[in-house]
Amino acid sequence: MTAAPTTAPSAPARDLLRLPFIGVCLRWRHARLTLQVAALVAAAAVVLHGLLGPQIAPRNLATVVTWVHYRGLLVLALLAVGNLFCTGCPFVLVRDAARRVHVPARRWPRVLRRKWIGVALFAAVLFVYELYDLWSLPAATAWLVLGYFAAALAIDVLFRGASFCKYLCPIGQFNFVASTLSPFEVTARDVAVCRTCRTADCIRGRRAPDAPTTVLRRGCELDLFVPSKVGNLDCTFCLDCVQACPYDNVAIAARVPGAELADDRRRSGVGRLAARPDIAALAVLFTFGALLNAFAMVSPAYALEAWLARAMGATSEGPVLLAIFIATLIVLPLALLGGAAVVSWRLGGGIGSVQAIALRYALALIPLGFGLWLAHYSFHLLTGVLTIVPVVQSAAADLAGWPFLGAPLWRWVGLRPGAVFPIQIGFVLLGALGSFATAYALAERDAPSRPAAVAVPWTIVIALLAAAALWVLAQPMEMRAVELPG
Amino acid sequence: MFLRVAPPAGGPRLIDRPASFRRTRQLLLAAAALLAAAACGPAPARSLAFEWSLTPSPPIVGDAVLTLRIRDENGRPVEGATLRVEGHMSHPGMAPVIAEAAERTPGVYEAALTFTMRGDWILLVTGSLASGAPVEHRIDVPGVQPPAE
Repeated sequence: MTAAPTTAPSAPARDLLRLPFIGVCLRWRHARLTLQVAALVAAAAVVLHGLLGPQIAPRNLATVVTWVHYRGLLVLALLAVGNLFCTGCPFVLVRDAARRVHVPARRWPRVLRRKWIGVALFAAVLFVYELYDLWSLPAATAWLVLGYFAAALAIDVLFRGASFCKYLCPIGQFNFVASTLSPFEVTARDVAVCRTCRTADCIRGRRAPDAPTTVLRRGCELDLFVPSKVGNLDCTFCLDCVQACPYDNVAIAARVPGAELADDRRRSGVGRLAARPDIAALAVLFTFGALLNAFAMVSPAYALEAWLARAMGATSEGPVLLAIFIATLIVLPLALLGGAAVVSWRLGGGIGSVQAIALRYALALIPLGFGLWLAHYSFHLLTGVLTIVPVVQSAAADLAGWPFLGAPLWRWVGLRPGAVFPIQIGFVLLGALGSFATAYALAERDAPSRPAAVAVPWTIVIALLAAAALWVLAQPMEMRAVELPG
Repeated sequence: MFLRVAPPAGGPRLIDRPASFRRTRQLLLAAAALLAAAACGPAPARSLAFEWSLTPSPPIVGDAVLTLRIRDENGRPVEGATLRVEGHMSHPGMAPVIAEAAERTPGVYEAALTFTMRGDWILLVTGSLASGAPVEHRIDVPGVQPPAE
C-alpha cells in the first residue's frame, strides 16, 4: 500500500458521492447488496406468480412488472441518473453466492471478447418477444427471467470477472448503450491522484496487506481502469471501484449526456470506438430495434405481416417476422448508413475509409434510438403505472385465499394515452436533436473546414428515422397475436 | 422483553424466548386459520357450460354487448347468478373495462361493454351462483377491429 498522494484534488463540480444524504447511501458498503436483494425478491415474486398465478397478462405480476414497470423505470433511471438497474442486478447476487461454492478459474476466451454474441442475443430477445407475444404470456415471461438467471450463473461460475455482463447479457448491452446518454458517470475525482497510485485497487481490488492474494474489496470486474475510463460504456455502476479506491478518489460526476459518443480517445476496457464494429452494430441494433419494437405494436405492422405472408406463401409468423427483422435490422441500416457514409466520405474529401465513417457515425444514432425507447416504454409505464396496485392485491388474495389487501382496484390504471403522447413526441425530438448534435460534433472532428457539409447525409438519415418514429407513435395501437391467412 | 416458559414435566428447564417469537407464532397460526377458513368456503361451481356471443360480431372498437348463456351439468339454465365482466387487453398496463351482467331470461346474462382499443381482449366473467359458489370463466376475444369507415 502506498502513502496517500498529496496532490490537491480538483473534484468534479457535481459529484453524487459528495451529496449529503445520497452520497452516504451510495457509499454505504451494502448499498448494492440492498438493491440486489430487493430486486431478487421482486424477481422471485415475478417468477412464482408467472408460473403459478393466473395466466392473464394484465392480472399477473410477471407480465405487469416486467413489461410495464421494469422496462419503463429502467429507461427513466438511465435518463435521470445512470445504469442503476445493472447496479441492482439480482443475477449478479445469485452469481456471487454461487462463486462462494465454485470459484471460476477460466478467463473469457480472447476471441470472444467483443459484443457480437451480446448483439445476437439482444436481437434474439427482440425476435422472440414479437414471435411469441411474450407480453401476453406470464409463464413464458417467468421462464425468460429464469433463463437470465441460469445463463448468468452458468457463464460466471465458469469464467472470471463479469463475462456475462460485459459480453453476453442483452439487458446489459441495452443499458451500456443507453447509459451513454445518462447525466452521470463514474470517473476519477482527480487524475493526478491516480498518477501517483501504485496499487490500482480500483481494477485489481484492494488486497490484504499481509496476504496479497486475498481480495478485501473487489475491483472492476469489467476491466475499466478508472483513470483511463471514458464514459459509461461497459460500466455497470456497481461502485466496486468506489469501495476499493484507498484514496476516496472516485466520483459519480455530472457530465454532458451523449458527449462521449463523439469522444474517440482510447478507453480502458473498450479501446477506441472507431475500432469497434461490434459496438457500432450494437448502436444500429439499439436504434433500429427501437423502431421495430414500437412498430410491432401498431396496426400497420399487422397489415404488413399479412401482406408479406401472402407474398411469401407463409402460413406461420416465423418466416414473415424473420424477413421483417432482416429487412429492418440489417438491410435498411446497411443501405442508409452505407449510403450516408459514401456521400459523407466524398464531401469530406475522400479522407479515411467509408467503413470507418459508417462505424463512427452509427454512434450518432444512439440518442434518437434512446428517445424512441423512452417514448415507447414510458408510454406503457405512465399509462399503466397504477396497475401494479390491483395486481398485487389480486396476487395477495390468490396467496392467502381472501382479499386481505382489499378488493383489487382494477380501475386504477394511469395517465390517458392522449396525455402521454406529447411526452413521447418530446422524447423523440430530444433524441433527434442529440443525434444531430453528435453527428455534427463528429463531422467537426473529421472535417474541421466543412463540418456542415459532411454532416448533411447523417442529418438526412436522422431526420428520416425521426419522422418514421413519429409516424409510428401516431398510429393506433393494436396489441394482438398475428393470425395469418391459411 | 422475554417470555418465560414454564418448566416441562421432565425436569426443570427454563427457556427465554423473545416476545417476537410469540408474535410470529401467533401470526403463523392466524395465517393458517385464514387459509383453512378460505378453503372451507363455498365450493367452486363445477360442470357449468358457458356459451357466449358478442354483438356486433366480429367485435369492433366501441360499444358491444356480451350475451352469456350458462347451463348446469343437466343442461338446465343457471338462474340468479351475480356476475361481473372484466375486459382486459392482452398487453398488461392497459385500462380495463368493467361491467355488471344482468339476467335477461333464465340463465341468460348480458353485459354492456366498450372496447376502447383494437387488438386482443380477454373477458373475465367472475361472480357467484345463487348457492354462493364462485364462478370464473375466461373468454378470449381475438382481434377487435376498428369500426368500418
